Amino acid sequence: MNRYLPLVLIALGILAFATLMLVIAPGVQIAQHAVPKGLNPYSEQESRGREQYVSLGCVYCHSQQPRSPDQAPDVERGWGRPSVAGDYVFDQPHQLGTMRTGPDLLNVGVRLPSESWHLTHLYQPRAIFGWSIMPAYPYLFEEKAEAGPEDTVVVLPKGFGPESGVVVARQAALDLTAYLLALDRTYPVPEDALRDDGYADRESGS
Amino acid sequence: MTRINKQKPGKIVKPGEDFEPWESHNPVPLPVIWIAVALGIWGTALLLQEQDSKVVAQAEREAGEAAAHDAAEGGAALFLANCSTCHQPNGAGVRLAVPPLQDSEFAKAGPGVVAQILLRGIDGPIRVKGFTYDGHMPSFAEALDDAEVAQLASYVGARFGGGETVLAPAEVAQLRMTHSGSGSWQGGAELASLVADLPPQPPMPATAEAGLDPAISDLIFAGKGDVWSCASCHGGLGQGAENTPRLAGLSQGYITKQLHDFRQGERHNEHMSFVAKGLDDAEIDGLAAYYAGLRVDSTAQPALGGDLARGEQIALQGDWGLGVPACFSCHGPSGFGVGAEFPALAAQQPAYVASQLAAWAGGHRNNSPLGLMDRISEALPEADRRAVSDYLASLPAVPAPEPQAMARIEGGEDEL
Ligand code: HEC
Ligand code: HEC
Ligand code: HEC
Ligand code: HEC
Repeated sequence: MNRYLPLVLIALGILAFATLMLVIAPGVQIAQHAVPKGLNPYSEQESRGREQYVSLGCVYCHSQQPRSPDQAPDVERGWGRPSVAGDYVFDQPHQLGTMRTGPDLLNVGVRLPSESWHLTHLYQPRAIFGWSIMPAYPYLFEEKAEAGPEDTVVVLPKGFGPESGVVVARQAALDLTAYLLALDRTYPVPEDALRDDGYADRESGS
Repeated sequence: MTRINKQKPGKIVKPGEDFEPWESHNPVPLPVIWIAVALGIWGTALLLQEQDSKVVAQAEREAGEAAAHDAAEGGAALFLANCSTCHQPNGAGVRLAVPPLQDSEFAKAGPGVVAQILLRGIDGPIRVKGFTYDGHMPSFAEALDDAEVAQLASYVGARFGGGETVLAPAEVAQLRMTHSGSGSWQGGAELASLVADLPPQPPMPATAEAGLDPAISDLIFAGKGDVWSCASCHGGLGQGAENTPRLAGLSQGYITKQLHDFRQGERHNEHMSFVAKGLDDAEIDGLAAYYAGLRVDSTAQPALGGDLARGEQIALQGDWGLGVPACFSCHGPSGFGVGAEFPALAAQQPAYVASQLAAWAGGHRNNSPLGLMDRISEALPEADRRAVSDYLASLPAVPAPEPQAMARIEGGEDEL
């Protein structure tokens, strides 16, 4: 090992090239696009809910990237249109996810717009889906003998709640739900959006 | 590259203690370089070639979107696209359900009257050519712009009424202003104010303004101890979204049957079994009556990338090659629903329709009478299921909406 300099230079060169092609060029390409019409920044409560989502690790079981119809039947499942880069401008860190143990959540606020549904589901998924393997998050809730005027009571079937009293949502659960309800990318794709159209149909000759 | 002392076969020679491997300059064999260069060229060529294919794919998508959005040109095309599903391509109507346009008193009254009907839709009984009809005609105020309404009304007036008047878009704009926010025409009785010497029209039945039972309204908008509110999922107007269905305008009998089926476990859906188990018979009847009477504009849009022309073909004619009858032969002209058995499909959310067709095909939904839908869904390939779902989403909602409902949709923000 006697030619350090060329080695180091070549290594740095490769690194610089990769940074240019994989980080800087896409960055420039994306920065030219405006925020899509119809996408709003997260409110303060929704941002707090988003932090919950990140820290509870929902991303390990849920993706946030519906696929185009030629890749997977996501639109038919009601998961929404294939996402485009612009859909994620306010998402830092993004929660794209790689695992689909549960359904994709990028548009869950549209197909399940019910706050009380989400509270029941977070308190005990098996109250709704007997077969669900999603963890329950009881520590986002507290049991009370009687609900106060400000409290949001969780709707529970018999057998899932406490013997007596009610289950009410803590702020964390309300925040997380507000974030889930804000997940809505059903506005039309902007004209100039970066999108993946896949390849032409082989049959249609091209 | 390293070299080790050559070994004689069969005899293991251990390198000495002081053995050091060493490197020397050993060029990469030429064939390897050739292969690498060839692979590089091939890769670049493929990339360039696929670049083309991407442009084609983009063009394909844009063409598809344009086809979905662009309205047809010309009166005849507009008529085929918007009216023929109900009034039939020859304007003869459907016996007992949809009045004829051919020689009807209203078509003869000229394009001005036709345009006003198009802008508002009709609700309630109407007498046309000696027969009374009591259906609903949707409003096309949102779906068609002034120029299209003008073209279409002139075409209908000329072809079916035999008149020669041509309506100008500016006149339609005027009419649109006058009629904006007035809701459907209340049957022939109200239309009589437009058309001179109309034969006597049936009176509009007094709408029993019973008012909504507060217990039912609570269920819909607030829920109760063990039931989430209906509006929280189905929307404040029962309009639905994605795979949560539109309920507004489904028949009372159909909604009642579905809720009973959910409760008894004959139709499977975790959300709805949870909800239905918390409802008693009286509540189910009240809810069904409420949603059946709700008139709400369509919020559905084609979203599944289906081929609308193919969807229209399946809905109107079916596909006998596949053994699929026309959807509208059971679900009524334009998919407005027939009686308690055949639910309305027009303006239903496309993801929901596709999910139901898939559920029947996979045996997950099996509560339809005589298994009628099971066989049809199994016969439809996946692309056709998407096509017909998208086509149904593109149809106007029947019955036509009330003005209050429209205002609330435009206002958007439900606090639910
Ligand atoms: C162990 C994997 C796992 C984790 C972790 C997980 N989920 Fe789930 N999730 C599932 C599964 C499986 C389902 C489908 C069954 C169900 O709805 O319970 C699901 C369903 C859902 C649904 C309903 C989606 C639909 O369309 O029906 C929501 C909303 C949801 N999860 C939110 C969350 C949130 C928020 C978190 C983090 C606090 C989370 N999940 C963490 C596995 C998981
Ligand atoms: C969903 C089915 C449907 C569609 C689509 C439809 N109509 Fe109608 N139309 C009806 C029904 C039903 C009536 C009778 C209304 C009633 O009974 O209250 C009617 C009544 C009419 C009348 C007055 C009665 C007559 O026969 O002259 C005219 C004119 C008319 N429609 C024109 C049109 C035109 C033009 C279009 C296309 C833009 C159209 N309709 C689309 C269902 C439909
Ligand atoms: C948690 C969300 C949720 C709530 C709350 C809810 N629904 Fe549903 N509802 C659904 C979904 C999702 C479906 C589609 C079921 C399927 O895919 O089979 C549905 C289907 C239905 C259907 C069948 C519609 C059809 O076209 O066949 C009826 C009727 C219905 N709901 C009525 C109600 C009523 C009445 C209430 C209130 C008491 C209610 N729903 C509350 C989510 C909900
Ligand atoms: C032979 C008569 C018949 C034909 C033809 C038919 N249907 Fe149906 N369809 C029914 C009946 C009956 C039901 C009600 C099922 C029930 O009560 O559960 C139904 C229900 C449906 C529903 C469920 C609606 C809802 O709100 O849940 C959809 C979606 C549907 N049909 C789509 C179609 C499509 C698409 C076609 C054409 C390819 C079609 N149908 C052709 C008889 C028919």
